[in-house]
Amino acid sequence: MKNRLKVLRAERDWSQQDLADALAVSRQSVNAIETGKYDPSLPLAFRIADLFEMPIEAIFHRD
Amino acid sequence: MTYWNNLAPYMRRYTIRILLFVSSYVIILTSSLAFARGGSEHSQATLIGLALITAFPIIGMFWAIFRLLVETDDEYQRLLFAKQTLLATAATLVIVTVWQFLQVYDVVTTGPQWMGVIWFAMLGLAAPIVRWKA
Repeated sequence: MKNRLKVLRAERDWSQQDLADALAVSRQSVNAIETGKYDPSLPLAFRIADLFEMPIEAIFHRD
Repeated sequence: MTYWNNLAPYMRRYTIRILLFVSSYVIILTSSLAFARGGSEHSQATLIGLALITAFPIIGMFWAIFRLLVETDDEYQRLLFAKQTLLATAATLVIVTVWQFLQVYDVVTTGPQWMGVIWFAMLGLAAPIVRWKA
């Protein structure tokens, strides 16, 4: 699964740590999601979508 | 204190639990060994009791590690901890299996011992392996 997390974060001028703090996860987790090493669970994907005020499919999409 | 304050709450609880069990283990082990080897004879029941009391903090450390898996609210970190414990378990089983056959073929006189200690050592070794490029 691919995602636009890095772009969306950069548009808001957030660091990985800022995003991690907002999602209550570690910076390592944000990095793993951004680089595609880890696909988040559905609840975490919803939290990310809520944070960016976008539908999940606008952030995550198939390879 | 900054490092401590930056730790996630589940890691703080884990660290406190491990420190308590490790310090209990050192105190219990040294005092129980001193008592058991003090020169006087002890009943079998007393020695079994000493063995159980000494094992208790080690069992506590296993409990603390598995509580960490339950309490970690960061799902990616939980995945890394799960991988770490599985890798440690696999490495321990490899060591114990080889050691066991070394005894079967009379290369060594004593079979696998201190498996808990081996597992903790493997858990420590597994951490950087699992987190490398994670």
